[in-house]
Amino acid sequence: MTEKSITIALAGNPNSGKTTVFNNLTGARQHVGNWPGVTVEKKEGHLTFRGWRIHVVDLPGVYSLTAYSLDEVVARDFIVDERPDVVVDVVDASNLERNVYLTVQLLEMGARVVIALNMMDVAESRGYHIDTAELAHLLGAPVVPMIAARNQGTEDLLATVLEVAAGNRPAEGMTLSYGRDVEQEIVKLEKLLAARPPAGSYPPRWLAVKLLEDDKEIIKKVRQV
Amino acid sequence: MSPHEDILRVRDESLEHLRKVHGDDAETLIADARYGFISGLMKDVLTKPAVARVTATDRIDGFVLNRWLGIPLFLLILYAVFQFTFAVSAPLIDLINTGLDKLAAPAAGITPGWLGSLLADGIIGGVGAVLAFIPIILLLYIALSILEDTGYLARAAFVMDRLMHKIGLHGRSFVSLILGFGCSVPAVMSARTIENPSDRLVTILVTPLMSCGARLPVYALLAGAFFTAYQGLVVFAMYAIGVVLAILLAWLFRKRLVPGESGHFVMELPPYRLPTITSVAAHVWERSWAFISRAGSIIFVAVLVIWAMNYFGVLESIGRAVAPVFGPAGFGQWQPAIAMIFGVLAKETVVGTFGTLFAGAEGSSGFAAALSGQLGWTPLVAFAFMTMILLYIPCVATLGIIKKETGSWKWTVFTIAYTFVLGWTVATLIYQIGRLFI
Repeated sequence: MTEKSITIALAGNPNSGKTTVFNNLTGARQHVGNWPGVTVEKKEGHLTFRGWRIHVVDLPGVYSLTAYSLDEVVARDFIVDERPDVVVDVVDASNLERNVYLTVQLLEMGARVVIALNMMDVAESRGYHIDTAELAHLLGAPVVPMIAARNQGTEDLLATVLEVAAGNRPAEGMTLSYGRDVEQEIVKLEKLLAARPPAGSYPPRWLAVKLLEDDKEIIKKVRQV
Repeated sequence: MSPHEDILRVRDESLEHLRKVHGDDAETLIADARYGFISGLMKDVLTKPAVARVTATDRIDGFVLNRWLGIPLFLLILYAVFQFTFAVSAPLIDLINTGLDKLAAPAAGITPGWLGSLLADGIIGGVGAVLAFIPIILLLYIALSILEDTGYLARAAFVMDRLMHKIGLHGRSFVSLILGFGCSVPAVMSARTIENPSDRLVTILVTPLMSCGARLPVYALLAGAFFTAYQGLVVFAMYAIGVVLAILLAWLFRKRLVPGESGHFVMELPPYRLPTITSVAAHVWERSWAFISRAGSIIFVAVLVIWAMNYFGVLESIGRAVAPVFGPAGFGQWQPAIAMIFGVLAKETVVGTFGTLFAGAEGSSGFAAALSGQLGWTPLVAFAFMTMILLYIPCVATLGIIKKETGSWKWTVFTIAYTFVLGWTVATLIYQIGRLFI
């Protein structure tokens, strides 16, 4: 029984339809609490799909994963500390460019991401055409087109999540290149961080980037040890 | 101090360095890289109906990234860069050469005779001949840094991405190749950003074919001597031959040596920016300093060895033993053979060798007289020799980094072998075919 149970995290911008996706997935089987130590609301739920018990954690809606807001810190700490089997990133297809900023940051963290490309109907009504296969290919993450408001695509999303969790479908992610000069400094820091890793299972490259971004939380973590 | 304070100290140094070079904090640079990635990604996956709101970057990109205009425009810009570089640097180089001439005469008069010869022929003739080209190096690096900092080089790679795909590589390989215009060593290292191992290997193997800054003095010397009116054009031809052969060889290697599917990545498109003086100055300084310090170290030593071997009469016999190999290419004399042997240490040494062996021939007209008078060179031979210098065995620093990055002696030796065969073949073809027409 235990081996057929997985945890997924729902990430996404505010207004990307994340709550609707969460409701479609879990129905009434949800409860609301608080994230430990902070007053940010934590919604969790569960469902059973094809014999798998799927635990769903709804992360706060955020645009970015910096240390500037509590919501963002809560979201990224959950991904790093609890290592959910899959992170479902709900993306507003009618606002793709802005929403993908979060997707890129999730991938930079090395999370296993499935992109729920929501609001396809709105995107189409505006005349946008999105090459979903190419998007999946370039980001190294599966893309599932959805219209959550009409509960379309939920089944596809769950099937894809299971395939990724079971390792039957590659979600290899991607490495962002920050330009020659910044990369030089990243390599330097990455080496030091890999030799003496701070607590937690943060990837050294991500830590190096965060240190250069002057991320106060990460600096604190590095200093603590 | 705790080890983690150590990490933070290194971080502070990194931040300081990046701020100095770019005038921006690292946070902005990293966010720019993300936005650049996303705007490249959107170009690939999102088609929007024509909209009213167009940014300046969109408008320039509409022109620069145009399917038909993109590549011709890239070549035109490259050509303009060389014309600019040569036009502005020529009077400066003449000035330096006149100064060196004035130094050499009294130096040669010093007794004992060998010391005068060492100073005049070896140091002033050899090392001076290399240093005389500093203006051209500075100007080329200024032009390249401006193209890089404005965001144009990223566009050039984006435009080439389509072409690169057809030959089984992707545009990120072209980013490494473009860096090769500066120096092959960082260019080979930059191939690390290519994830697919086959793509990476092929990129490393062909990067040395890109014409680096160290080869420029050789072209400048010979083009100045034999192609006075068309210097810019001839040097542009060298760079173009390098690019075309790198792409061709990449296609061949991808097909024969390391087949397999090529990875596809997003090409970053950062927004256009005005380059800052500090950023351009920092990049130019970093690259030019490498040139100057090589002239003072490895080239200085090489020139001393060449001078000594020449002074004691052993150089010529070594050169004569090797020279016949290059007979079919038109430069089967002992002096160019020696220049090529020592050129493997660093390509500028070719100029240093000529400077020592034809001491007293300062300036373009002096070298033209020496090379055509003593060696019987024609413009055709000079052109064939320039392609040989472009293509043959990479310098030792590049070979070292190839060994380090591929972790394999096999690929390092392969690079030596294929570049030599390629250089010899192309030079011979140019000379033999050219002879039919001239």
